[in-house]
Amino acid sequence: MKFSIQIIITIAACFLFQTFFPWWTMAIAALAVSFAVGNKAGVSFVAGFVGVGILWLGMAYYIDQSTHSILTEKVNKLLPLNSFVLTTLIGGFVGGFAALTGALLKQK
Amino acid sequence: MKLLKPILSLVITVALVGFLNKSWNFGSPIPPLGKFLDPFHGFWKNAKTSEVENESISLAGLADKVSIVYDSALIPHIYATNDNDLFAAQGYITAKNRLWQMEFQTHAAGGRLSEIVGKAALDFDRTQRRLGMVYAAENSAKSMESNPIAKAMVESYTKGVNAYIQSLDYESLPIEYKLLGYEPELWTSLKSGLLLKYMAKTLNMGEKDLEMTNALKLFGKETHDLLYPDHEGVSDPIVDNTGNWKFKPVTLDSLPLAVPIELIAIQPMEKVSHEIGSNNWAVSGSKTATGSPILCNDPHLELNLPSIWYVVHLSAPGINTMGASLPGSPNVISGFNDSIAWGVTNAQRDLVDWFKIEFKDKNKNEYLSDDQWKPTRKVIEKIQLKGEKAFYDTVIYTHHGPVVFDESFHGESEKNHYAFRWIAHDPSEEVIAFYKLNRAKNHPDYMEALDHYGSPAQNFVFACVDGDIAMRIQGKYPVRRKNEGKFVLDGTKTSNDWSAFIPNDHNIAYKNPERGFVSSANQYPVDQTYPYYINASNWEEYRNRRINKLLTELTQIEPIDLMKLQLDNFNLKASESLPTFLSYIDSTQLKGAEAIAYQKLSKWDYYNNKESEGASYYEAWLRAFLPMVWDEISSSKVALPRPATYMTIRLMKEKPDLSFFDIIETPEKETVKEVIRKSFIESVAVIEKWKEEKKGEPTWAEYKDGYVGHLMRQEAFSYHIKHGGNGSIVNAHSKSNGPSWRMVVSLEKTGVQAWGVYPGGQSGNPGSPYYNNLLGLWTEGNYVKFDFSSDADKMKGKELAVITLNPSSR
Repeated sequence: MKFSIQIIITIAACFLFQTFFPWWTMAIAALAVSFAVGNKAGVSFVAGFVGVGILWLGMAYYIDQSTHSILTEKVNKLLPLNSFVLTTLIGGFVGGFAALTGALLKQK
Repeated sequence: MKLLKPILSLVITVALVGFLNKSWNFGSPIPPLGKFLDPFHGFWKNAKTSEVENESISLAGLADKVSIVYDSALIPHIYATNDNDLFAAQGYITAKNRLWQMEFQTHAAGGRLSEIVGKAALDFDRTQRRLGMVYAAENSAKSMESNPIAKAMVESYTKGVNAYIQSLDYESLPIEYKLLGYEPELWTSLKSGLLLKYMAKTLNMGEKDLEMTNALKLFGKETHDLLYPDHEGVSDPIVDNTGNWKFKPVTLDSLPLAVPIELIAIQPMEKVSHEIGSNNWAVSGSKTATGSPILCNDPHLELNLPSIWYVVHLSAPGINTMGASLPGSPNVISGFNDSIAWGVTNAQRDLVDWFKIEFKDKNKNEYLSDDQWKPTRKVIEKIQLKGEKAFYDTVIYTHHGPVVFDESFHGESEKNHYAFRWIAHDPSEEVIAFYKLNRAKNHPDYMEALDHYGSPAQNFVFACVDGDIAMRIQGKYPVRRKNEGKFVLDGTKTSNDWSAFIPNDHNIAYKNPERGFVSSANQYPVDQTYPYYINASNWEEYRNRRINKLLTELTQIEPIDLMKLQLDNFNLKASESLPTFLSYIDSTQLKGAEAIAYQKLSKWDYYNNKESEGASYYEAWLRAFLPMVWDEISSSKVALPRPATYMTIRLMKEKPDLSFFDIIETPEKETVKEVIRKSFIESVAVIEKWKEEKKGEPTWAEYKDGYVGHLMRQEAFSYHIKHGGNGSIVNAHSKSNGPSWRMVVSLEKTGVQAWGVYPGGQSGNPGSPYYNNLLGLWTEGNYVKFDFSSDADKMKGKELAVITLNPSSR
């Protein structure tokens, strides 16, 4: 239960932060959410990863759909991995490590 | 110890963020991945739909409100109440659509590409610095400063560009900045100057003085004159005014040509493609269906994305003009207004010289000039390299200009010091010429406007609703003695300097010729009675003859007939050479692929249409034939110029036993017959290999494989296109060069009608549908009909969006 709660709040908090601030502020949001919710370290990492990953993938997918993939197809040719996969992984790892830090800080 | 884990985790998180916030280069450059992929601000945000939103923006320094109406092709129609606001709006809207390109091209012009792409661009940057590109732009900036109209124009344009730059945040940056991980700097009037110099370099640097000097030394005068005549004498001159040059020409004291006699073992700079050229013509009302003149222009340049051209409509009291502009420079360059139309092709003239310099000693503080030592001026050029320490280059200036080649740069011996004299180094005020052309109402206005035009020299075609048509070959040209300018010059004698210039009213020009049309296609410009010596690195020998033949034949001309002429794919070169080629082949001896090739070539109608296979076989044959003939030149230890293809074909017919037809690698003594046979066999093998690789038939469009490449050579943002034509054909589209803008204007008294298209799109954003929306039209040979009403209300209902610029209340 707390796992789902962390994911949902992470998505909401990161969405808010990223709307107004640079991309890396979502790490602060994910860390704070993780600290507040208080899941175990491993669970927190996964929740942070999934939360930010879903947020980034969802946003990217929304833009891609509304612009008929006009840029996605081009950028896919110049990145080593598919841009959706890469976007999800990058967002996910930063979110995951930030959440892990939050959980570990609470447990100390 | 309890803190160890959270601290470690925090460090990992911060390091990860830091890593993803920065550009890297592991063999290939990697953008800052976190920033780049962030769907809130990163590249995703550059993806757009065809819908464009209305905007209302305040722009400091405007005197009044400006409306910019985008039409369905994203062409901005700018309505202002005064000149300054008009140019500010042109700067703003151009930057909004083309900022990255504008800055990239000015970085390239000024030798600053290494800042963006790293050391790979160092030789290019050093070349730009050593050619004095910035020196040239500074000189023209100074002359703009002293002219109040030019100053206000360029400052307003700059203000508009900067207003856009200052409105940007990471999210709204063009994608190229995000990819390369840098940000735009503020625009300056110097950058506008650099851009024009960059164009001048493209159009002037086909020169081959070093190579010609070597050829003279190696081959002797007789062979040199045979291979490299001043002009081939086959084309119709642009202006034939025989016997009517009624002025006393400026002359120089005659003196023997001082050509240094040694061979020059310098690796010359990369040459501009010969496929850069252009067509323009105007037909008088006596030849058209409406009785009004029609004017056409198609400049041939390297085809890139974003395109070199940006179409604008500028409207304010005293001006209502439309046409192709150069992003980064105010005004319309090739276009029309309510009274006139004009267009440009390159005049080809030799406006570059190399002077051999003798320094007093290794310090190079002084150089010899007429028995005295003159002081040099040293400029230290700092070239910033991306991710590395800056590179410093010392460039030495003499009164001729900068010393480009020395032992530190393409110099194979300590003796090789060559200073570069270029007309574009001189102060000039081209922006005034275009300012006045944009507002011109008749032939006298056009003539007066062109008096302000210096370089790069152009053939300016003109037509007016009052019925006049005209041509003027305008530029600033040094007065030359015979043969001067073809070879390197002795820089120690001031008698070799450019000491006089042809007065503007002695320049080649005429109006309303009897034949009912004027035309230019980079050919030799004038009849034999023109009293000044003229030379160039090359003259065009085919397009001009084809154009003039068709224009002579056509009557009751409608705009569509001239669109067809711009798209004409007849290969005159092939029609003059292929019969001779084929006459040397014994078709009864051929088998298999060679027999098929012979048959396709014999049946070919000489049109380089998309589906033609004969065109591919001919092109492959010519590409095999030319290097086989000129093997003496490509294998030489010193750089030599390859004779023009036209000359090669003429020599093939007239001097089949010429020693150059011998292939030096083989023990036998070949004549043209053997070379034609060998190159035929080789070319068929090339086509067979192509067929195997591509698994298809070699139709011309497939074989040519037209390519419109992104300026950064970013494959993902580039396109392969299928189009007919070739270099030397009126539709001059070769693989990556060709008609960069096609314009047709009918100057009807009831209202000027105009059409145009270019291979690209108005938006420079690869994530916009307007990035390439004109490319498809261009490829199919279609045109956009332009609206250019001076009444903004007439645009109602046709607009995509309106951008309103308001004077800021501050």
